[in-house]
Amino acid sequence: MPTTALELRDVTLEYRMRRSFFRHSFRRALDGVSFDVEKGETVGIIGGNGSGKSTLLRVLGGIYRPNSGHIACWCENIMMLSLGLGFDPELSGRDNALIGGVLLGGRRREVKQRVDQMIAFAELEEQSKDPVKTYSSGMKARLGFSVALTMEADLLLIDEVLGVGDQAFQQKAKAAMLSRINSEQTVVFVSHSLAMVTQLCNRVVWLERGRVRQQGSAVDIVEAYKIEQQNKT
Amino acid sequence: MKFSTLNDAFWLKLWFSLKSEAAKNYLNYVWWLLEPALHVAVFYFVFGLIFQRGGEGFIAFLLCGQIPYLWFSRTVNNAAGSILGGRGLIQQMAIPTAFFPAVVVGKDALKQTVVFAVLLLFLATQGAQPSWMWLTLPAVVFTQLLLVTGGALLVAAVTPFVPDVRFLIQAGMMMLLFASGIFYDYSELLSEQQQSFFLMNPVANLIVSYRNVLLHGDWPNWPGLFWISMLSGACIMGMLIFYRRAAPVYARLVVE
Repeated sequence: MPTTALELRDVTLEYRMRRSFFRHSFRRALDGVSFDVEKGETVGIIGGNGSGKSTLLRVLGGIYRPNSGHIACWCENIMMLSLGLGFDPELSGRDNALIGGVLLGGRRREVKQRVDQMIAFAELEEQSKDPVKTYSSGMKARLGFSVALTMEADLLLIDEVLGVGDQAFQQKAKAAMLSRINSEQTVVFVSHSLAMVTQLCNRVVWLERGRVRQQGSAVDIVEAYKIEQQNKT
Repeated sequence: MKFSTLNDAFWLKLWFSLKSEAAKNYLNYVWWLLEPALHVAVFYFVFGLIFQRGGEGFIAFLLCGQIPYLWFSRTVNNAAGSILGGRGLIQQMAIPTAFFPAVVVGKDALKQTVVFAVLLLFLATQGAQPSWMWLTLPAVVFTQLLLVTGGALLVAAVTPFVPDVRFLIQAGMMMLLFASGIFYDYSELLSEQQQSFFLMNPVANLIVSYRNVLLHGDWPNWPGLFWISMLSGACIMGMLIFYRRAAPVYARLVVE
């Protein structure tokens, strides 16, 4: 049994932008990225805006194919925990939770049994039959988080979702995430919140303009990143 | 994504899309029937009443042409935007891209089943004698389903690469409307040589089969059905292979 969950070697990804009829320009979002994720560990990805964090998460989730490089994955079921999961605004929160759960890999019957749990966690019992178009952005975010959190996966990819909802919900969401992380779940976690990264992650990869600037223990890398940010300002 | 997950997601998405679509309009599911009825009413008004063409049974003649045409045109149009419409999901999970046009095909096919049931009821009550040949109707419908699926997979695949294709589809559908013999009888207007060229249009060919079966109590045009099935089947297989290879490209394409 390999202890490695994910292995990335020299992963490069470019976005192609159309400038005119025949002219295109390219933007390199990831440039020679290499790192490993061991089973059961939580790896944080930090970096400024446009550093390639979300793109990297999509590469790890098999959503984007890189232009070059090598990715090896020993996880059967990868889930990206992000908000809104393509909600249909005309459907109720309950219907959206059901379809969201199925799309995240659950069987219909199994998800149906968990819908009440999802709605309760999102604190949307009273509005569960209303169309999602009547929800505030916070309500939608809570529902998206609850759906994703209720489903199971070998590798969990989390993109900036712990800042969801009000203060009380954030605490609840953080506690739920912590309990999941502590139960041997392999997690790759993208966030701007350095405090949360230090608290949740074993290791951190610092991205800068699509390249790995540094990687190592969470405390050391976050400290180095903070110093760099202070020097910039 | 496992097949069982995909199957569950397909049916749920299909039912929920129908529900969501119906919720947008006051008359909900009534539009499934009202839309083809309105199209036929327009043609009947223009050609039947103003130009005094068609004669007895013109409404049934129009229905047997317009309903299959609308099925093809609606599905191909809806499928064209289906991958871009699904970008929210494509950006968040490794979902097969063919899922999106497939849901459109399934949704429209389900609506069409209801429309065909009402069409048969209408024809039976309007004097068309139900014949044993009506039992061959599923073969014609199935052939059209293959054609619609092939067309939908093709346009859905191309549109994210070249969004301008949508304008061509609109023009193409307009051309198909006039070139499929919906409101005229091709055998009265065209020479024999022109007829064989006309019947190379698969929608026109299918409409001939629909009318043979439903209006004349005759066999469908079997050679036509055979060739349409073969070509559509090949197109579906080819497109599925293409989607399999191009799936990760689409995820990036919808943001580029």
